[in-house]
Amino acid sequence: MSEADADMASQGSDPDDEGLSDSSYQDYSDEDINDYYNYGPDDMEQDDRGQIFDPEAFEYFLFNKEEACQFLDERVAELTQTIQFSPQVSHTIGKVLLQAHQWVLTEVMERFREDSVQLMVDCRILPPPSRAKQVEPPPKQCPVCLQAQEEKDLLSLACNHKFCTDCWQRYFQVQVEDGVATGVECMWSDCRLITTEDFALSILKNSPVTLRRYQQFAFNDYIKGHYQLRWCPGPDCDVIYMAPQPLGRKVQCKKCKTCCCFRCLKDYHVPADCPTIESWLRKCADDSETANYISAHTKDCPKCNICIEKNGGCNHMQCFQCRYDFCWMCLGDWKTHGSEYYECSRYKENPNIANESAQAQAREALKKYLFYFERWENHQKSLKLEEQTFQRIQHRIKEKVMNNMGTWIDWQYLLDAANLLHKCRYTLEYTYPYAYYQEGGPRKKLFEYQQAQLEAEIENLSWKIERAEQTDRGDLENQMDITEKRRLTLLRDFSES
Amino acid sequence: MANIAVARIKREFREVVKSEEAAKCNIRVELIDDNFTELRGEIAGPPETPYEGGKFLLEIKIPETYPFNPPKVKFMTKIWHPNISSVTGAICLDILKDQWAAAMTLRTVLLSLQALLSAAEPDDPQDAVVAKQYKENRHLWEKTARHWAQEYAEAPKSKKDDEFYDKVSQLAEMGFDRHKALTALSAHEWNMERATQDLIS
Repeated sequence: MSEADADMASQGSDPDDEGLSDSSYQDYSDEDINDYYNYGPDDMEQDDRGQIFDPEAFEYFLFNKEEACQFLDERVAELTQTIQFSPQVSHTIGKVLLQAHQWVLTEVMERFREDSVQLMVDCRILPPPSRAKQVEPPPKQCPVCLQAQEEKDLLSLACNHKFCTDCWQRYFQVQVEDGVATGVECMWSDCRLITTEDFALSILKNSPVTLRRYQQFAFNDYIKGHYQLRWCPGPDCDVIYMAPQPLGRKVQCKKCKTCCCFRCLKDYHVPADCPTIESWLRKCADDSETANYISAHTKDCPKCNICIEKNGGCNHMQCFQCRYDFCWMCLGDWKTHGSEYYECSRYKENPNIANESAQAQAREALKKYLFYFERWENHQKSLKLEEQTFQRIQHRIKEKVMNNMGTWIDWQYLLDAANLLHKCRYTLEYTYPYAYYQEGGPRKKLFEYQQAQLEAEIENLSWKIERAEQTDRGDLENQMDITEKRRLTLLRDFSES
Repeated sequence: MANIAVARIKREFREVVKSEEAAKCNIRVELIDDNFTELRGEIAGPPETPYEGGKFLLEIKIPETYPFNPPKVKFMTKIWHPNISSVTGAICLDILKDQWAAAMTLRTVLLSLQALLSAAEPDDPQDAVVAKQYKENRHLWEKTARHWAQEYAEAPKSKKDDEFYDKVSQLAEMGFDRHKALTALSAHEWNMERATQDLIS
């Protein structure tokens, strides 16, 4: 979406687009939601400020490298100021301590207060007390290159294993070549002490190329090690996300437009949580052969048997020949898909399965998986097809404006509707992996009920958008509101807090 | 070859030759070429292991960046061990990978390999078939490892292992390659039928 489009969209309804066009990097705030949904929030839960609880609200920032560097330096400064290091303990050691604790400041401080020496030993800055006074290498000779050296040219870490500057330099070159930076250890066998950034700097001061690569790798290590920071997973993107609360919520990169889950960096996946979606995707990859046969794109009309290709996202099908209305998923009559009876999102388990043979159980397990996979994949395809609908709408709006049928702004609601449809169907897609792993019981019944409700409203919305010319604007906007409310209700009740 | 690597290898070579272990014929090392890039090592099978009495040859290649990178070592003598590939002789040992330290020497490498023969790490396997046998049928693994040592590492033969020789010979008489027959039998718990099946397929 271009900047202009984003601005237009933000005048409408979609809080996501609001976030995109916002000049600050912060995601949409509660107020935006509040403004839009202010009418009739009777069934919405409210927090103590009287605002509606939004299950998807998530505070995060986008950093460039300099900002991330500054952010890291501030954390180190905070640490060194608070715990009053002894003079020889510096900024660079603070970094090592934090890196060893995923940069959780409070944990480092607590451990420091408990036993500062043990902390230094565990973080490999000081040798264990038992080893502190071990034999030194023969004096005035570097044990690596075996050359005679002046005492002053031999350098060591706190373990007192002395090596000459040349050897240290060559050693760093080899390590950096392998991509190692914050983990470069002492060269002595069995010695696990690690070098600090300052030490590397003093060794590499005369080899600028290696030094620059060292600093790049070290920075990368810090970002990967920090619990609040993530590299944007977009190709060649150098944006860094920062979330004060590292949860499995949606983040979007402003630069490359990648949209993902903050915690696992995979495609955003509520209401399923990160482990669920990981097992689901692995399962889908493993079972792809079995699932191949369902990837056929056509089905026959259940009434007149004419072959029908699905060319839109909506699951409410109308046969071109006999005008029969049916559901693409279950091929049943669409009339039975009123909200109370909408059942084709619910998998009906064979209640007697425990008594069946192993073969029957295996068949049942496959059937269950295919049931959820079919629906998950179907919504994925619908999302693709609805992208085309979106393009068509844009095209039609252009035509209308050209023919003096209203202005651009008059028709924006159609784009908003298409955006909202995408968002809702996206969530619906990810309810299927969630349902697959959810255990039976009253909560599953409630989930399936809400899922069915959402499914029904989404199909209504999709139907109305595809026939936007004949649909009344008020009717469409009403449908949008209902659908989004269903989505938020489901997320509020079922996504992890 | 970098000067530092040459200086180190010269010194380490002398260290091995003069070492206590060399005097007891436990380890040996010899030069293959004049520029110190390749050496041949030898370790004796440790006592009270299936490898006892065997001599195991090692190929040692010294990288340009030695001693900042570890030497590349593999077994030239075929061996039945969870951490050594029975096909290629490749070794899975931490000090030859990420736990290498520049201050380590050829002597420490050879002694570590000898220690590996005494104490396998089946949870960090190089050869999955051997590791599985080691964990599930330790007795059969011992017999198989001893047989391999006798076949390839000149370990002394004893009467009680005749059964395995007969089986290998039977398959060899059927026209199969002796080493392939031995490998197939070892991988299939010395079951003639399954080994034959494996050799045919």
